[in-house]
Amino acid sequence: MDYLTFEKVTKRFGDVSVVSESSLAIARNSLVVFLGPSGCGKTTLMRMAGGLDTPTTGTIRLGGEAIAGPDRRRGMVFQSYSSFPWLTVEGNIAFGMRYRDDLHAHQRAERVAHYLKLIGLEDFSKSFPNRISGGMRQRVAIARSLAAGSDVLLMDEPFGALDALTRERLQVELRQIQAEEKKTIIFVTHDVEEAVFLADRIILFSARPARVIKDIIVTKILGATRTLAARESQEFFKLRNEVLHLIRKEAETVR
Amino acid sequence: MMREVLTFRGKATAGTEFALGVAAAVVVLLLWEVVARLEFVAPQFLPPPSKVIAALWTMATTQHLLWHSLISSLRVWVAFLIAAAMAIPIGILMSSYRIVGAPLEPMIDFIRYLPVPALVPLSIIWFGVGEETKIFLLWLGTFFQLVLLVADDMRRVPHEYVEIAFTLGARPRQVMTDVALRSMGPNLVDNLRITLGWCWTYLVIAEIVAADSGLGFVIWSARRYVKTPEVMAGVVVIGLIGLITDQLLRALHRRMFRYL
Ligand SMILES: Nc1ncnc2c1ncn2[C@@H]1O[C@H](COP(=O)(O)OP(=O)(O)OP(=O)(O)O)[C@@H](O)[C@H]1O
Ligand SMILES: [Mg+2]
Repeated sequence: MDYLTFEKVTKRFGDVSVVSESSLAIARNSLVVFLGPSGCGKTTLMRMAGGLDTPTTGTIRLGGEAIAGPDRRRGMVFQSYSSFPWLTVEGNIAFGMRYRDDLHAHQRAERVAHYLKLIGLEDFSKSFPNRISGGMRQRVAIARSLAAGSDVLLMDEPFGALDALTRERLQVELRQIQAEEKKTIIFVTHDVEEAVFLADRIILFSARPARVIKDIIVTKILGATRTLAARESQEFFKLRNEVLHLIRKEAETVR
Repeated sequence: MMREVLTFRGKATAGTEFALGVAAAVVVLLLWEVVARLEFVAPQFLPPPSKVIAALWTMATTQHLLWHSLISSLRVWVAFLIAAAMAIPIGILMSSYRIVGAPLEPMIDFIRYLPVPALVPLSIIWFGVGEETKIFLLWLGTFFQLVLLVADDMRRVPHEYVEIAFTLGARPRQVMTDVALRSMGPNLVDNLRITLGWCWTYLVIAEIVAADSGLGFVIWSARRYVKTPEVMAGVVVIGLIGLITDQLLRALHRRMFRYL
């Protein structure tokens, strides 16, 4: 079932065309990775889905309803400045709930506890973000969106600044979180390996202006469950090389 | 201890910092005392610190120095709080909404460059020589500086925080109070502390031209009789009040922003 849809979306900044008529339908409860050469317009697409930018023409819909601006149904996770430094881990997770009057105090507390557990930071609930690692901060940002009640997570290179091992762990965790919480995730990355490991589906974009050039259903090739062992399988490498090849070819058209 | 204070970009403990600060002050005072006692310079120009301290004591015990200090502090704080209470919301709105910022910025920039002393006569014509004139002059000197500093602090709030808040369901007003104000908090309190210092500069000017109380008045009256130790004592009191206030505000800053 189509849940988040891009309908003939274009975006121009002045004279520069950044997204050229793109149509795309994303199913509920799936993890879709946007992949494309640097500067092709991935961030712009995400921001429009988040309601932080408006398409020049075309419409983006969530559950059939046109997106008019940001709201808590679509949470963003950025690479930097992702958590509020003046709030503790707990305070960050609870942040969005202060704008919901449908939750009682005890429900809020339960939700905070639930998401703390989900990201495994129970012992750090009272720590401030600058006292925890970069990977933990990104977990907090994820939990904060979920606690606020997001149905969709829009993640723009969220693990881009992390070291390889932390990154790998977070990728595994993100897939677990997605499976447990049944959320729809759009994940932007430059890293082909990350894309192949995480994705149910990879959308490959052209160089600017962004246009869909390839739509790969990864679950058909690698299945729905991913373990770290799957990362070393032959199918994984084959797909990774294939995607790498495609994106390389696309990046070359720019120069 | 020697090593850590001599290291390039090294750190030192609070105790070491304090000891070095006190030691430097003592050295300067001793040098001053020696130079003054040798009377290279006539004593009515440069009295030794011991004389200044003696004058301080007489002024405190017989000439209501404390009361004058209190009056001056009160003027500074009243004017400063009025300026801050106005500058914080206006500054935030100025960089949040162009409809507020665009018309106000040029005007404020213009007024900001007017020297406060040049406005003393006008202020006396408007408000007479009562408290209003002094408060007005202090306010004038701080509000226009502070409002631009606040606007700048607001502009520096990372846009990511604002956008995250929106995607967590906050409305513009809530983003201002729950995110922008919190994010700019440390810079804001720092700027308030610095502006409070400027307030004292204008205080002395205001009290010299139009007052019969306060430290500016004390200094100016002592000057008339060339009582140099008293003049210096008055200046020292202002310095001490400044030093203590500044340290208290720094401590408050550390307490308020433990997460830094
Ligand atoms: N607000 C803006 N005004 C003008 N141009 C913009 C604006 N935002 C983005 N652009 C331009 O649009 C193009 C696409 O930017 P975008 O950030 O969406 O790309 P991206 O695919 O996310 O790039 P990267 O992989 O480097 O993150 C870039 O050339 C960028 O300079
Ligand atoms: Mg980007």
